[in-house]
Amino acid sequence: MTATNKAGTAKPPLLETRELMIKFGGVTAANNVSMQIEAGRNLAIIGPNGAGKTTFLNICTGWIKPRSGKVFLEGEDITPLPPRKIVRRGVARAFQIPQLFTEHTALENLLISAAAREGLRNPLQNLHNIRQRDEMMHLLDLVHCTDVADRVVVELSEGQRKLIDIAVALALKPRLLLMDEPTSGVASSQKHEVMEILVGALAEAGVTSVFVEHDMGIVARHADEVAVWNAGNVQLRGTPQEILEHPDVIRDVIGEEVA
Amino acid sequence: MNLTIFLLALFDGISYAALVFIVALGLTLIFGVMRILNVAHGSLYAIGAYATVSLTGFFLALGFAPVFAFPLMLVSAVLVGVLLGGPIEWLLLRRIYDKPEVLQLLVTFAVFMILEDVQRLLWGTQPYFQASALQALGNVTVFGVTYTVYQLILLPLVAICLLFGLRFFLRHTVIGKLILATTEDREAAQSIGIDADRVFLFTFVVGAVLAGLGGALASPTTSILPGMGADMIVLSFAVVATAGLGQIEGAAVTALMIGLGRSFAVYVWPEVAVLVPYLIMVLVLLVRPEGLFGSPVARKI
Repeated sequence: MTATNKAGTAKPPLLETRELMIKFGGVTAANNVSMQIEAGRNLAIIGPNGAGKTTFLNICTGWIKPRSGKVFLEGEDITPLPPRKIVRRGVARAFQIPQLFTEHTALENLLISAAAREGLRNPLQNLHNIRQRDEMMHLLDLVHCTDVADRVVVELSEGQRKLIDIAVALALKPRLLLMDEPTSGVASSQKHEVMEILVGALAEAGVTSVFVEHDMGIVARHADEVAVWNAGNVQLRGTPQEILEHPDVIRDVIGEEVA
Repeated sequence: MNLTIFLLALFDGISYAALVFIVALGLTLIFGVMRILNVAHGSLYAIGAYATVSLTGFFLALGFAPVFAFPLMLVSAVLVGVLLGGPIEWLLLRRIYDKPEVLQLLVTFAVFMILEDVQRLLWGTQPYFQASALQALGNVTVFGVTYTVYQLILLPLVAICLLFGLRFFLRHTVIGKLILATTEDREAAQSIGIDADRVFLFTFVVGAVLAGLGGALASPTTSILPGMGADMIVLSFAVVATAGLGQIEGAAVTALMIGLGRSFAVYVWPEVAVLVPYLIMVLVLLVRPEGLFGSPVARKI
């Protein structure tokens, strides 16, 4: 079976999940999740804590294997692959807490990523001399972080770490980037700015994103589509406007934040 | 103490420290990267020595020149690293990285005991001697003290080259950086596509080669007999623990301290010579439990 996207062509969606199931103890974290993610449309995932949003990201990137169900990347079954192989096929992941190598500089983090992507053709080369250095500086430029290229990550602010974490993910040349609360931990005055830079960088790099987000302001402004998660499955899906005005969503998810 | 005795103790200490350092280097590398204290390191050292003696004996009997012993040391070290180190990581350690440290220690200790018996099985219990490498380089006389070039110059030179080579390798090469990245955060490394399993396998093999090389280099200076692995693992552990686990430069300094402490004790107060390395270790760890160069929180290699 090949899914047909909205344009009616036979090209399979960028990422598709079919009937994902998984339970942790008594909690059903994924209850028959069938999703299609189209290239070029940034999808926000919202929903209450424990609804299975992060589990969904972890299944798509191979960190958690579903008890049943499958994940397809452009029609290819990637369910059994280990995380590092899924990364190489173009699905990258950014975590709630940036997973940077804190004892290395921002640029070195990107270079390590590039070296991991390219494999080791010349393992004894100096990391700073690898061919991809200019490309990595360009990525730092995309996330407005060239000025901190040579600073060690521990010295950087949370907002800068978030942006560099995204640049590290982009260094892997993904087609799809899954992000868990990309602006959590960032001062609320800077959230929109960080998100603005981030979305701009992704668009520039031609990367589709899926992000879990609690801040409805961010969702309204930066997502092309929204999926509402509840009890381990997608409850609703639509444009930000449709979703944010939906009575169920206002009641269950947004609740008092808006009222 | 006259000058001759002083120089003899000094030279003994330096050459001994160089050997212990080479073995300790592998031990501390493996610990720094993989967080495994590999007791079987002692066996890899002993087997490196046995392999060198056997290979050298074999080729000299075929009429090769004694200098041929040097490449054979390297061959032995690499054989030990690849044929023993590789399978130990691949078949055993890989399965226990997330298990409690006590279990990891027991597993490597079990490997050590198995390999001890394998040595007895293959080489018997009679001591072996093979000093062609030592004789090939001749002697040097310093202030009236005659010492072998092998022990006074070659061993320290190799130790220093390995120290700086490994430092450079880890800090300035692509693969070194990938190893350090995996050391710092295994999950983050995997999420950017680094094959952490291969990084660990590679690191363990390098560490095992260093153990084998230590044994190979020690072989011309000592008699090869059962139990030598146990002596060396305890001593190199003392060096590594005194420095702080995972501290490469620190291990060089403590190897020198312990080597010199032991050799001077041999001349001054021979009854306690065997005790000196451990006295140094205990005294240091009483004052600084994280080791001379270790920091209690951050792990660096």
